[in-house]
Amino acid sequence: MIQLRNVERSYKTGAGATYVLRRINLDIQAGDFVTVMGPSGAGKSTMLSILGMLDDGWAGEYHFLDHAVHKLDRKKRADLNRQYIGFVFQSYHLLDNLTVYENLDVPLSYRNVSRGQRASMVAEVLDRFQIVGKKDLYPSQLSGGQQQLVGVARAVVGNPKLILADEPTGNLHSSQAKEIMELFKKLNDQGTTIVQVTHSEANAAYGNRTIQLFDGWIANDPKNEPVPNTTASIG
Amino acid sequence: METLLHDLRYGVRMLRKSPSFTAIAVLTLALGIGSTVAIFSVVDQVLLHSLPYPDADRIMYVSQTERGGNELHYASSPANYLDWVAQNHVFSVMAASRGWQGNLGGDRPERVRLSMTTASLFPLFAVHPMLGRGLESEDEEPSNDHVAVLSYGLWNRRFGADPGLINQSITLNNETYTVVGVMPSNFLPDGYGELWVPSPWGVPSHPLVPSQDPRQFRDRNYLDVWGRLKPGVTQHQAEQEMSAIARRLEKQYPDSNDGIGVGMMSLQDSVVSDIRPVLYVLLAAVAFVLLIGCTNVANLLLARSSGRTREISIRIALGAGRRRIVSQLLTESVLLAVAGGLLGIVIAAWAVPTLVALGPSEIRDYGNIGVNLEALAFAVVVSILTGVLFGLAPALHASEGKVSDSLKEGERGSTAQRGRTRTALVVAEVALSLILLIGAGLTVRSFVRVLRVDPGFDASHLLVFGVGLPPSASADEQDRFYRQVAEKLETLPGVQSAGAVSRLPLSGGNSGRSFKLPGSAKDYSADIRVETPRYLQTMGVSLLKGRYLDEHDIAGATPVIVVNEAFTKSVFPGEDPIGKYITDFGPGMDKLQIVGVVGNVRHVALEAAPRAEVYLPFGQAHWTSAFVAVRTKTSDPLALVPAVQNAVWSVDKTVPLAGVRTMQDLIARSLVQRKFTMTLLAIFAALAVVLAAIGLYGAMSYSVSQRTREIGIRMALGAQKKDVLKMVVGQGMGLAAIGVAVGIAGSLGMMRLISGLLFGVSATDPVTFILLAMVLAGVAFAANYIPARRATAVDPMVALRYE
Repeated sequence: MIQLRNVERSYKTGAGATYVLRRINLDIQAGDFVTVMGPSGAGKSTMLSILGMLDDGWAGEYHFLDHAVHKLDRKKRADLNRQYIGFVFQSYHLLDNLTVYENLDVPLSYRNVSRGQRASMVAEVLDRFQIVGKKDLYPSQLSGGQQQLVGVARAVVGNPKLILADEPTGNLHSSQAKEIMELFKKLNDQGTTIVQVTHSEANAAYGNRTIQLFDGWIANDPKNEPVPNTTASIG
Repeated sequence: METLLHDLRYGVRMLRKSPSFTAIAVLTLALGIGSTVAIFSVVDQVLLHSLPYPDADRIMYVSQTERGGNELHYASSPANYLDWVAQNHVFSVMAASRGWQGNLGGDRPERVRLSMTTASLFPLFAVHPMLGRGLESEDEEPSNDHVAVLSYGLWNRRFGADPGLINQSITLNNETYTVVGVMPSNFLPDGYGELWVPSPWGVPSHPLVPSQDPRQFRDRNYLDVWGRLKPGVTQHQAEQEMSAIARRLEKQYPDSNDGIGVGMMSLQDSVVSDIRPVLYVLLAAVAFVLLIGCTNVANLLLARSSGRTREISIRIALGAGRRRIVSQLLTESVLLAVAGGLLGIVIAAWAVPTLVALGPSEIRDYGNIGVNLEALAFAVVVSILTGVLFGLAPALHASEGKVSDSLKEGERGSTAQRGRTRTALVVAEVALSLILLIGAGLTVRSFVRVLRVDPGFDASHLLVFGVGLPPSASADEQDRFYRQVAEKLETLPGVQSAGAVSRLPLSGGNSGRSFKLPGSAKDYSADIRVETPRYLQTMGVSLLKGRYLDEHDIAGATPVIVVNEAFTKSVFPGEDPIGKYITDFGPGMDKLQIVGVVGNVRHVALEAAPRAEVYLPFGQAHWTSAFVAVRTKTSDPLALVPAVQNAVWSVDKTVPLAGVRTMQDLIARSLVQRKFTMTLLAIFAALAVVLAAIGLYGAMSYSVSQRTREIGIRMALGAQKKDVLKMVVGQGMGLAAIGVAVGIAGSLGMMRLISGLLFGVSATDPVTFILLAMVLAGVAFAANYIPARRATAVDPMVALRYE
């Protein structure tokens, strides 16, 4: 489903370029549940942004399904994002001024989905996540766990093939976190590919593969040989 | 004190830290304060301050009216005036005068504005002469009447402010007069005279028959009359008694006084009644500009306060009391207002003289209008209050015990409340600016309509001026003089034709008379014009039927007249008037035959409907002064002035030319007040729109900065640039649409207030309303588009990480 070849991401600084990802080679198959771990600044979130096509400033090759993403312009990448990918954020990132129902409707509103079809898709997700009773509440009226539940619901409402989750339980206490991870597991069992970034070993245990990032390099990937000299200086 | 100094230092530092905020806020306040102060200064001097006469509010302008009507005739007859003086118990003194023109002799003969007045004018206005004395009752004896009092302007201009002029002789209308006094510059009782001479019969003579005793004239109305109320007498009491006198006179003299009443208005009202609505409209307009300016600053401060909630919370957490925080923010707001006020004074000081120069004579005549400190104080207080009000908002919020929330959550807690306030302010701004824009639009359309009015003559290539022989010249001499002047002018190279007329269109004067038709007792009235042959042709007034007056229409020939279309319509509707007669059109004009019908001429004003007019030939009729119209072959008629002057002097070298100008200039002068209103309203509307656009831009920029996270989330969820653009522009245009709707509703109500200033366009003209609403919507779109474009550049990665 995903192939990254020699993907690099750098930022221009006064002294030259600072690399946050270096020579990333990664294969993810459909149905995988991949966990990306590593210390702060290792490049985890950047990798997720590249996978989610929110970042354009990288070099290398990226194949997603049958598409050579590196050859696509920004608009086509955005189309792929809309069609196949759902996001879950650590801070939930629900829109404060919209109700639960409206938050779920937002991603569909950016797709060419008719109003009637949108309504039935939102209703289906509300039902599936058992949050029908909360559909008219605003995010501020929900607990953190409930908000993240809505966050996950929003990520799956468009039936994505890939869910990218950036520390999805970072702001939740353990019982809420467990609930969310069970949900991811269930989605994965139903065929959705999931890539999560986490610091939690417990969360990583829900996945079937864990990649370690360190200073922008893949330090460990069970499916690939580790890249030598990972402690080499960066930049 | 130390705290204040500290706050001042900190305030200055904070303002310097955000130079663009400070510059925009100060400039906005300065424009609002400056324009308000400028207009208020004029209003205060012209409308609110009393005229420069002791107890000026007790001086009444008194005039004949239609019985039971409120409209003053602005002219009264000598016999009625004398009866009013003799019979009333409400005025301590009454006075009358009549204006005309006279030839002031000397090396450079000059035609001056001459007022013949009763001696009582001087005690009535209670102004002491600057030099010498005013006129006294002894001067009204026929043997003593050759004395004159000069205005300050004439004394200064013509006699170099010579203090030794008193008791010196001057030549007026070829007769010798002794100067007995000079009045101060603020003495403008009738708004006309440059020179006052006594009335030999105790009441001013008729200008067309100056040698006749006027005391029995009851049906010739040519006097301006004033009265000073006795102490304790109200205007209402005076009106009641004068009406009773009018009723007695009506019974006593039914032939002349049937239906004639008496009315009065305060002197102040009589002077400013025309300009008052204009000034009030302009005052309302600048108040709107100031309001919009204050709204903008409030918006800026609110936006800024969001960024400072955290700072204030930290200060409170570190032990600052509420009062301390408040005083600090107050100092900053006051600093802004003071800076805006200072710059406002500079703007007003520059604007007031320009305003006065642009203004109509009612404003220019005041002469000494300057920046008004009361207005300045008012505007500064308003802006300080506004600044304080909105400067305090974050302090009050921060001190409500939500410090920990503010510190934890940054700005989110108070955003919604402030957002609503800002939204309301932006809507108000758009609405106010649309009201101003529509007001300006309607006056501009009115002006265009007035310019399109066909005056009934061709103003291009026309040179016009006034001339007159002294009243001592006989009627024959005068009539011959005008004919000779016209003939002489026609011999000049560069002159196509020339003619003289008693009353020139748009020159400010008019004369009317009543007449009858043969065999009928019904009274008609028409304006009278006495002309030389080819005056009408020179003016380009079209001939509709019959013929123009010509060289054969002289004394002794059949008395003939030419009438205009309005005359025909009102007197002979549906009939051919050629060959018909009118009777009793004045002394010696018993039977006049109509020989031609000409087109209507807009005489009083371009906006005023044409009136019935009768043209008579000099020789068969008589007039003691005239205007000469010269149609030139050159595009610059003024280039012919020296030749024209020599031509007149070749007929009589003592006769000066007055008011030499082009006809187009005369038309422009007649439009000064309308142009003044239109120009200022347009300037204020433009200012308002710019301020509203800045306000909208600021609000949307702020909103975009506040919504960075939301925009980031939306983009992460699949929103494209066009979606974001649509969302932000949609939000801004939604506000603008509400503002436009409120503005249109407000305009529907408020434009009725300016309907009196409009011409040829309705106060609710849908074209103006729709067009200007679209213009404002366009401006709003531009103001929204820039922040919206910025919103599309939000990097979702950065936006989502910034927490």
